[in-house]
Formats: sequence, structure tokens, C-alpha cells
Amino acid sequence: MTGLQNKATQPANTVPSGADAGQQIPQQEHVMELLIGYLLLAGVLASVTLLIIGLVWQKIITGHFALNYLISGMNLFQFVVSDFRTLLGDASFGPRIFVNLGIAALLLTPFIRVVASVFFFALAERNWKYTLFTLFVASVLTYSLFLR
Amino acid sequence: MHLISPELLFVISIVAGFIGAMSGMGGGVVLIPALTLLGLDIKHAIAISIVSVIATSSGAASAYVRDGVTNLKVGMFLEMFTILGAIVGATVTLASGDQGLFIAFGVVLLFSAATLFLRPHDTGYLHRQDGVSRWLELHGSYYDHAAGETIQYRGRLSYVGGPMMFGAGFIAGLLGIGAGALKVLILDLAMGLPAKVSTTTSNLIIGVTALAGTSIYLVAGLIDPGIAAPVILGVVAGAFVGTRMLKRLTNTHVRRFFLVVLLIVGIEMLLRGFKVI
Repeated sequence: MTGLQNKATQPANTVPSGADAGQQIPQQEHVMELLIGYLLLAGVLASVTLLIIGLVWQKIITGHFALNYLISGMNLFQFVVSDFRTLLGDASFGPRIFVNLGIAALLLTPFIRVVASVFFFALAERNWKYTLFTLFVASVLTYSLFLR
Repeated sequence: MHLISPELLFVISIVAGFIGAMSGMGGGVVLIPALTLLGLDIKHAIAISIVSVIATSSGAASAYVRDGVTNLKVGMFLEMFTILGAIVGATVTLASGDQGLFIAFGVVLLFSAATLFLRPHDTGYLHRQDGVSRWLELHGSYYDHAAGETIQYRGRLSYVGGPMMFGAGFIAGLLGIGAGALKVLILDLAMGLPAKVSTTTSNLIIGVTALAGTSIYLVAGLIDPGIAAPVILGVVAGAFVGTRMLKRLTNTHVRRFFLVVLLIVGIEMLLRGFKVI
């Protein structure tokens, strides 16, 4: 455990109901904090790496960093699928694919964090309230990102 | 299509990310006015800014969450409200005229300037909880290195904080900013959480809220990858440096500097909204 001890256990001034209650819940929450923390970090690093590769590649082949194209009104699912189609053999494979995947990785980062939270609350904590709350957030994001 | 060079976008975004991290308000408050001054229309600037907000929020939140100060349950409860607000806000932006957006941006900046001088309450975090907040398990503790002690707290008035967060999410989606100042205000003053918990939990919420707003702008075709890529990289780099510089400057210096920045940019946006300049 780091210096910043974790927390969100039971209300202050109350006593845990059993020996395990005081230990198990903080440990689970700390696992969740580490999981979420590293997920967010990995997502941002992946995004930044892909964007740098795309821009540097663009600079190498064209002599400048400028990329002039628009994502014409597609949801994230269509955006990612079109990227992977290009990645899996389309002739237009080039710097754009890395820039697109960098943006997609960034957008997927908080989404994956929310989905991971749903599973954590449902399976590890078995906390139905927060399973429902996170499921609601995941559902709204799924609709607005992938289905709309 | 745009004519702003990626190098210039990158440099501006470094400055925006730096100032955003130092002030705790995110890069959007500087980025959007700068992009519009360079000729980008305000809706594209808002859409690009809100994507960069995801990057800075996720980067900062990753460290705060692992440190154990962020209250995940408070964050996940309030996200239900902020994402709906952001979707509504972004939808309103798509239907709005540019002048109205400039005015709204100016007003929010001036309001943010005022909040710089609101002092967080720094004692008495063990509030008498209402039934709803107790049911929502909105309590916790963290170890405060500066004070050398474990701070325990109980959140209150979640039934007020939730709907207010819809408003914060609305502003975030409407203007493409993190609206961190407003979120911290709600967490601190309304829900009675310690300042560190408010700031770090707000940071966690900002990323998901920005994503909800981004979903609307993406479908509307306002995310231009040629602008987004250098902006994301610049804002992340600027925020990385800004977060480390923050430790070396006193609060008074930081607040005075940002008061001036916010006043100038806020008034400038208002004047553009009213077509004075």
C-alpha cells in the first residue's frame, strides 16, 4: 500500500462488522483504483504514441505534418471499423491510419474505464447499486458512441 | 478544411495545456479563444477542445486514482448526471449561432475568475449525512501528506449535487471545456468533500463527460484529425509540464496570474459575442 492509504470503507466513527470487513473492502477498492489508474494511463500513452507515429510518418513522406481530411459524420464504431479495414489490407494504408487509431484509442479510454467498473462492481464487489449506476453510464455512452 | 499549421497548433496547445494544468481549469479556456482567433470557427474549436479534455483528464486522473485520493463512488454516481448534461449541451451547441456561444463562453470564463477566490472549506468533513448520501455510500478517507494525518469525510446533499452536476456537464458539452471549476465547487461547497477529494474526483468525471460530448461532435463531423492530432499532443505535453511547475509556485501567484488571463479572455470573448470587436 502506498503512502496515500485507501479508503472509501465504512463511515467514519463506525466499527467494521467483522474482522474481514475492514480488510477485504479496502483491498478490493485499491485493486480497482490500480486497475482504473493503469487503464487510463495505458490509453493515453497508446493514443499519444499512435499520434506521434502518424504525424512523423506524414512528415517523412510529404515533408510536412499537415493532414487535411475530415471524419465525415460517423460514430466511433464506424470510425474504428473503417480504420481496421484499412489496416487489414486496404491500399490507402498510411499515416492517417495511425492518427485515426490514436484518436480512437483516446475516445475508447474513458469508455473502457466505465465498462471495467461495471464488471468490477458486479463481480468483485457485488455492489448492485454501483453496478446499476455504472451500467447506466456505459449504456448511455454505448448508445451515443456506437449506435447513434 | 483548415489552414493553421500543425506546428502552430502544437505550440498553442502546449501553452493551453500548461495554463490549464496550472489553473486546474483544463486547456479549453485558453485553447478555444486561441483557435477562434486563428480563424477556426467556434464549433470546430469546441469539438477539438473537448477531445483534448479527454486526454488531459485521463492522464491526470490515472495518477490521482492510483494515489487513492479520488472517491470512485462519488465520481461514478455523479457521472450519470454529467454525461446527460454533456450530450444535451453539445446538441444545443450544434443548433446554436456562433455569437451566442461566444457570449456563453465569456460569461463562464468570468464566473470561473470569481471562483478562483472562493476558499474551500478546510475543516469539518464529517458531516451529518442525509439518508440518500448514506445509501449511496458517499464517504471515505485519505492520507494527507501535508497535514500528516488521515482525513475522514462524509459527503452530503447528493440529491442536490447530482442535478447540479447535470448543469456542469451541460456547460462542458456546450463549450468543450472540462468545467472543472464548477464541478469542484459543487463537490466542495454543496457536497462538503475535502478540497483534494473534490479536485481529483472532478478530474475523473471530466474525462467521461467530455467523451459524452465528443460523441455528438464526432457524428456531426466536427472532429478534424489534422487539427485534433497536434492539439492532443500539445495539450498533453503542456499539462505534463504545468502539473510539475504547479508545485513550485505559490497559490497567490497562480491565482493572480489566472485572474488576469481569465478576465482578459472572458471580456474578449464577450466583446466578440456582441460584435464589438
